[in-house]
Amino acid sequence: MTPRGRFLLATLAGLVLAGLVHIGVVLLIPRLSETDALSRARTGEGLDHAMPVYTLVTGDGPAPPEAWLPIPDPAVAVGICAYDLADGPMRVSARTGPLMLSLAVHGRRGAFYAVTDQAAVRGALDLVVLTRAQYDEALANADENDVSRDVRIVAPDLRGYVVVRVIAALPSQRPAANTAVQAVSCTVDLPAEDKAGG
Amino acid sequence: MRAADRAAPAETRGETGAGARTAAARLAGAAREAVRRASTVSLVLYALALGAGIGLATADYATRGGYPFGGVAVGAWTAWPRTGSVGADPYARAVNARRGEIPLAIGEGMLLTAAQDDEGQALDATCTYTIAGITPPARAWTVTVAGRGPRDPERTIVREGYTSTETLRERDGRFVITLSPEVQAGNWLPMPRASGPVRLALRLYDTPVAASAGTLDRAALPAVTRTGCAA
Repeated sequence: MTPRGRFLLATLAGLVLAGLVHIGVVLLIPRLSETDALSRARTGEGLDHAMPVYTLVTGDGPAPPEAWLPIPDPAVAVGICAYDLADGPMRVSARTGPLMLSLAVHGRRGAFYAVTDQAAVRGALDLVVLTRAQYDEALANADENDVSRDVRIVAPDLRGYVVVRVIAALPSQRPAANTAVQAVSCTVDLPAEDKAGG
Repeated sequence: MRAADRAAPAETRGETGAGARTAAARLAGAAREAVRRASTVSLVLYALALGAGIGLATADYATRGGYPFGGVAVGAWTAWPRTGSVGADPYARAVNARRGEIPLAIGEGMLLTAAQDDEGQALDATCTYTIAGITPPARAWTVTVAGRGPRDPERTIVREGYTSTETLRERDGRFVITLSPEVQAGNWLPMPRASGPVRLALRLYDTPVAASAGTLDRAALPAVTRTGCAA
């Protein structure tokens, strides 16, 4: 092979390699990123209520310190509950109020479920995120006479987070929106408690 | 690459002494010489460096800033229905991960952005625009404006956006929001910066449109029209 041919072959191999590196890096970024929502949500895992991610500016409050969303909506308060289903199913309870509220369940690959307060039953929205095995167990243990109002969602991955969004349609509703986000509770549903209750 | 690199400058230096030929010819000669003398090891290193360099650079470029593709263009607006769903493309997921973004899920709402007006000219902070018309059905919506890059700390923010409840409307339910650096009557949205490009975001909350963004009509979205420029 001529020197020139070898050089062209090397260049061609380099370009093919570049394509592979490009695809590999793009696919790996979500997994390796330390600044993505999933990694940041992990810091609030111990909380029993939603961790505020974006707090609205109110008359007496300064600019929110914990804002890391790149371009947040200035009228929507955002909170986040990280879950790790290895600890048990995650129960998210929200009481609906005058403000519009929505819950979205995100896994590693994106949001797989979302619900707004219009789906609430008697003013309460109860979401239980569980794995397939935990779901089967919950079905087996369910009492036929006891009607459950929980919305059960089977998660594709063990880890993820639930996003709470509350919309303040008017500036005067902003303090209420901030409170509403914090009022959403996220607790691990322990099976022992279930049996004691049922 | 390292070996080839070393060979090239040495060659160039040697020919600088001769000094007769032009720089371009010298460089070409050096490159030809390096190619001719390159060993298999240096060619393999060259291929690896080329692959890593171009691969990393293009991956960084594609996932920096906004979503590279997946948007549905409707008039001046671009709808992003799938960026938050499980069906999001790998690039959108990488962009979200890099920015720490929490995108709207399909059942939650939809984001639309506009960086141009209806005539295709880029939105500029020194100009005045009207955002007028109606929005697709939604329980609530917000229109916000933002400049690229970090905010100017000197500038006091009067207002960043309008919600559907705040907006003053005409008798037929249509609205006109005026985006301008100067104070305006009606729904005035001040420019977030003194100069440079700005972009609009229209967020529809709890809307059935997210599931069928491809069928969105131009008339169903507010029109972005330039009415004048200071400069």
